[in-house]
Amino acid sequence: MTYALRKVGLLILTLWAAITLNFVLPRLMPGSPADAAVAKLSQNGPVTAATRKAIEIQLGVPNGNLIEQYGQYLKQVVTLHFGVSYTFYPQPVAELVGQALPYTLILVGLVTIIAFVCGTLLGVLAAWKRGTWLDSLPTLGGSFASAFPYFWTALLLLFFLGYVFKIFPTSGAYGVTNVPGFNGDFLGSAVNHAILPAITILITSLGGWILGMRNTMISTLGDDYVTFAEANGLKPRTVAIRYAARNAILPNLTSFGLALGGVVGGSVLVETVFGYPGIGYLLLKAVTNQDYPLMQALFLMITVSVLLANFLVDILYGVLDPRTRK
Amino acid sequence: MTITETTQDAPATSPDILLSVRDLSVVYEPRGAEPTSAVENVSFDLRRGEFVGLVGESGSGKSTLGFALTRLAKPPARISNGRILFDGKDIASIDAEALREQRQGGFAMVLQSGMNALNPVRSIRHHFFDVFKAHGHVPHDRREERARELIGKVELPAATLDRFPGELSGGMRQRVSIALALSLEPQLMVFDEPTTALDVLVQHAVMNTIRELQKAENFTAVLISHDLGIVLEATERVLVMHEGVIVEDGPSSEILNAPTAEYTKMLLSHYADPRAEVVSLPGFEDRRLRQAAGEARSAAAAPEHAPTVVTRSVSVAQESIVVSHVSKTYPPPRRGEQPVRAVRDVSFTLEPGQSLALVGQSGSGKSTIAKMITGVEKPSEGSITFGGLDVAKLGRGKLRDLHRNVQMVFQDPYAALNPLHTVEYTLMRPVVNFTGLKGQDARRRVLELLETVGLTPVEQFAAKLPHQLSGGQGQRVVIARALACDPQVIIADEPVSMLDVSLRAGVLALLEDLREKWG
Repeated sequence: MTYALRKVGLLILTLWAAITLNFVLPRLMPGSPADAAVAKLSQNGPVTAATRKAIEIQLGVPNGNLIEQYGQYLKQVVTLHFGVSYTFYPQPVAELVGQALPYTLILVGLVTIIAFVCGTLLGVLAAWKRGTWLDSLPTLGGSFASAFPYFWTALLLLFFLGYVFKIFPTSGAYGVTNVPGFNGDFLGSAVNHAILPAITILITSLGGWILGMRNTMISTLGDDYVTFAEANGLKPRTVAIRYAARNAILPNLTSFGLALGGVVGGSVLVETVFGYPGIGYLLLKAVTNQDYPLMQALFLMITVSVLLANFLVDILYGVLDPRTRK
Repeated sequence: MTITETTQDAPATSPDILLSVRDLSVVYEPRGAEPTSAVENVSFDLRRGEFVGLVGESGSGKSTLGFALTRLAKPPARISNGRILFDGKDIASIDAEALREQRQGGFAMVLQSGMNALNPVRSIRHHFFDVFKAHGHVPHDRREERARELIGKVELPAATLDRFPGELSGGMRQRVSIALALSLEPQLMVFDEPTTALDVLVQHAVMNTIRELQKAENFTAVLISHDLGIVLEATERVLVMHEGVIVEDGPSSEILNAPTAEYTKMLLSHYADPRAEVVSLPGFEDRRLRQAAGEARSAAAAPEHAPTVVTRSVSVAQESIVVSHVSKTYPPPRRGEQPVRAVRDVSFTLEPGQSLALVGQSGSGKSTIAKMITGVEKPSEGSITFGGLDVAKLGRGKLRDLHRNVQMVFQDPYAALNPLHTVEYTLMRPVVNFTGLKGQDARRRVLELLETVGLTPVEQFAAKLPHQLSGGQGQRVVIARALACDPQVIIADEPVSMLDVSLRAGVLALLEDLREKWG
């Protein structure tokens, strides 16, 4: 219990640090969003002081000293008021993020978990049946598939399954005629649109999990407790899963935590190639359009999700490994 | 106490015989290397209820034989020939599932490294339940009761069942693994060096438990050990093994008093009665470091909880280590318990060129002192100075200087060497880091070091990986690594406790030579 409490304390501390950094860093940058907007407008002719004032009011230029600003900022973070996006003006940032998040979480999150589970199981099997085809096929296949650059695999799949055979749609998250909502049509279309990006992520990430698990498992198979379990005549399944795999999975959990944390931020490439309206796509737009409120909210969210994922893995570690609880 | 007839070729069929081994050979067939024969045409019989010792040095094939008897030999080892009749059934050739079922009520094994024989993420209770579940020989509602009974048999409290292996000491873990083996209700138990990794006092207690259990449960037992003393004390009959062959088989008393094989005589001459060394304890002057092993035994005779420090001076001069009023307190292991005071107000001075023995039973704080001298741990109170340096206050950079001069040799050579690196790489690191030699010069130095510790041909050893070395060779590599940066002080933490008698003598003699040569 103390272990969990300590981890919660650590999480709160790091969250606070991340949120504060997110406040400090933009203020260290030269210029202001209003300057950028004025600069843009001035290309079409001179900008009057009144226009400038109007822009500043629109964007919400911070008032008060730094500490007051900080208080305001914290309040905004807690109430999820991140202001208005420039790119999609006048939509609030929170709304944009709220629309994009489910797509990313479900697509990338689910696929990351599936890849981890499948890869780990295949790795266990490969190590347990070392030297047979059950070992060589997933090991070689996995490393072969993951050796391709991500976008190349994506383009191949798009070309063949999308354009040539027209099995799957080539972009978007749902058909143009569908209205988002909980109805069969929309959900069917959404799943259909998610399959290609999902397969691509799966293909490129599975190999890593297989190899990681296989290698740690082979080293635990040589451990004395496995030999002793065999000497005691435990069933091979028990030995493989509860003794060897159970210990081998521990180091892999750390990489799983990192992968989970990267779900929100690391999906830029997937979503760009497939025109998938998730967080990564939004982030790309925010960066290319210098959409500061949107960027700030997204960066904050990426940081928080990395911290949360690592917190979850830490807690999981505590449950799975009695040695860390001390 | 009769010698069983072992020369006949037909397996013994008398109901009195539990295990009958005929012409058993085991070969190691590592990939890409020549196969080597570890056990050659071994034949013997074990009677029911007999307690037999299997003695030999490391590499003699005794553990391989033990693993073969319980059908635990794994590739690259392979039973190439012969029969093992267990209770009339040939177990050398039965399939995996039949073998697995045979383990309950059949044969069990206790491994050398009982510390690592338990699954670190499984509670002791579940270890027992796993065995019960695998064989179904204990009904579900009697599991808890039976587990408590078994844990009681090895003299551990029932609360041990709630613990995880990491929370138990080495001796306790070895007891748990004996209880687990016992839970199979075996007719034959093979103990492979059950006490080697334990310190002397615990060793003694665990051996007593084994002996009492053997009498009470009346299973047939095979005790594999390099330690002739332990074997002679515990068993009624001894098989002596040398280079894969059983060279002598006879009652313990005969082996002790009238050995016939040359090899047995040699073993006996290396084996000195531990009690004799207690008597000669004050005569340090000529026995020096060799004494370390013997002194550890003396602690068994006069157990003391405080670390005992024995100092003895020889000669030479450079810089000395002064340990003054040092204490080390660890935070309590669980909430609400007392903090652990590992070392309490210890002071001594180690002069240059002198060797000093630190003696005490496990848990007395010996290793903690060693760790503090090398700067791995910081003392809670007091100070340790080396020359003008206060070890406890050194920063990272200064610690590097300290390590140039103070090096450590660890207890377990297997654990102290990175299994993924060759001997050459392992030795190259300190050579490059501390002496500034590069390329060919560094390589020459590595080979020189190997020669210094007597690992020849050096080229061949340089290319080996740790698992290809025996325990003694491994320990020599560890010593060579400690020597790599020309240290002024070498701290050897139980350098020989994992090794057998003649290797022990070899390593200690080596340390002594090195000390005389280099101060």
